[in-house]
Amino acid sequence: MAKEGANIDLLFRNGLKDYEVLPPVEIWNNIFPVIRKKQRPVLLLRSAALVAVLLSISFLAYRWSNELTNSSEDPLIAVGDHFIQARENSTSRVQITKQPAGNQVAGTLIEKSASDELPVADLSDTGNIGSSDIESINKYQELTTSNNLIIPPSLQVIRGFSYNGEINSTGDGTMKKFDFEEPKEKINRWSITAMASPTVYLQTELSSNDLSGQISSGEQTRLSYTGGVGFAYKINKKISVQSGLYYASIGNEVDGISSFAGFRQYDYTKGDHNFEVLTSNGRIYTDNADVFLRDYSGDRVQTMYTNDVFDPAKANLSYINNSLFQNFSYLEMPVILRYKLIDKGIDFNLIGGLSYNLLVNNTVHTVIDGSRYNVGKTEGLNPLMISSSLGMGMEYNITDKFSLNLEPTFKYYLNPFNEFSGLKSHPYSFGVFSGLSYKF
Amino acid sequence: MPEIRNIIKGCLAGSRRDQELLYRRHAAKLYAVCLQYSGNDDEARDILQEGFIKIFENLIHYKYEGSFEGWMHRIVVNTALEKYRNKHNLYRVDDIDLIPEPDAAPETEDYAGIEAVDLLDIIRELPPKYRMVFNLFAIEGYTHKEISQMINISEGTSKSNLSRARIILQKKVHLYTGIKKKVISG
Repeated sequence: MAKEGANIDLLFRNGLKDYEVLPPVEIWNNIFPVIRKKQRPVLLLRSAALVAVLLSISFLAYRWSNELTNSSEDPLIAVGDHFIQARENSTSRVQITKQPAGNQVAGTLIEKSASDELPVADLSDTGNIGSSDIESINKYQELTTSNNLIIPPSLQVIRGFSYNGEINSTGDGTMKKFDFEEPKEKINRWSITAMASPTVYLQTELSSNDLSGQISSGEQTRLSYTGGVGFAYKINKKISVQSGLYYASIGNEVDGISSFAGFRQYDYTKGDHNFEVLTSNGRIYTDNADVFLRDYSGDRVQTMYTNDVFDPAKANLSYINNSLFQNFSYLEMPVILRYKLIDKGIDFNLIGGLSYNLLVNNTVHTVIDGSRYNVGKTEGLNPLMISSSLGMGMEYNITDKFSLNLEPTFKYYLNPFNEFSGLKSHPYSFGVFSGLSYKF
Repeated sequence: MPEIRNIIKGCLAGSRRDQELLYRRHAAKLYAVCLQYSGNDDEARDILQEGFIKIFENLIHYKYEGSFEGWMHRIVVNTALEKYRNKHNLYRVDDIDLIPEPDAAPETEDYAGIEAVDLLDIIRELPPKYRMVFNLFAIEGYTHKEISQMINISEGTSKSNLSRARIILQKKVHLYTGIKKKVISG
């Protein structure tokens, strides 16, 4: 009996050792949302970290730009062979001293105190100013018209610095008054922009096999569009941060999938979908019981209604089309840094940043006589896509407040639309955004 | 074909592709195990689903020591055990008198021609407690002492259940091979 027992044990042990049974399709569909849900906090943490890094970069850029500004607070104004050093502050006290080493007049800074309301020249050393110095000052005066000093570009050390005051020579070699004023230019730090762009989407295939080759060769992206409203904050004259809300519609055409109408009467299954179509963006699941799909050129359509089970021609189904159209819509929230390269009549900006794209619409249709015929939707699309973008923005100022924008932009999606066995493709897009900005 | 290490890394990084790849690569084998431990398809599906969720959750604890397939197999068997215990914890599982005593097994056996799918069908027809003990002892290789702790029965009951399971299985296999021979010959 023991031997018989051991035999029966061996029979089952060896017989079932490498036995495999394909599980029902829906099991993975039940597993995936559970594990994805548990991973979501990790994704959120990563996103938060990314935002923190971007904010840190923005802050550092802001600090850096401030330091640059501060370093130019002691500009020198060259007048011939002479230099007048002045603080950017308009009400500084300036001391005229004669440098012992040469025949040079210099304005050196005396610390500004709260009581220094009026700019008064401290002429403590005026007695030492020689005739050559007076000549220099006279030369300086020649460059003034009325009370406005015009400094030729060749004589300017720091540009953007204006002098607005009076230099009076008393004739005895003394000077009365220096009055330096900082330009009080009002900067419109905020701007709001409405932009739109036709967009071309392409895919980079990172892994490939026979199936992925078959899938990719039968697909072509359709012209898509993106549009929305953005707002920007100018940190300084060079750098601004931009965000906003854009709507992006993306289309993909899957060729070689024949669709037929009128299948409802032959459908005896109770499942949630009759057909699955493998595409580079994921699996299309039909949710229209009336539609029948067949891939005559390959095996992208998975169904229990195979060739040997059902023939649409014999059943007299109505042929619709040979293509399926996938449509995905995303709400895009960019965090973009803009750096002004050229500040002329037409400004040129370098644009770069990241965008968060939230899936808001997902449909698949085919077309019959120009009308849409719903087929289903693409399963398993990533609900949150992160894209990086790089572009060159051109800005033409129509008025002080309004400007026209043109921004050729390249985007690369850091995660794929969808991932499934054997195929992982990262989309990228190219678009030329155009729009109108209002500054305030 | 990607190495299992890369797939595991991808799964841990949250790659859906790798998660699905891992599932598709091993689901069929593990589903056969689930069927072997369950009396009906719904139960087998539940075991596979829960088992895989546990696999993904515990992937971070896998130390790359020993076979990865073996590690997954143990998780699935433990899930089946857990389900069995939950289902049978309301009454003593060593109450063997509820099952009628099987007839003695045939003395000689010719198992030739019997296929895995038939073996699976036969094993699934066993009463749950016999099936569980037979699977744990004959297929997984646990001792009666270990089995007694696993499903809260005495060692004697484990031995008795195994003996009864074997008799039933031998009888069914005999019956099956007899029918098959008749079909072939006649």
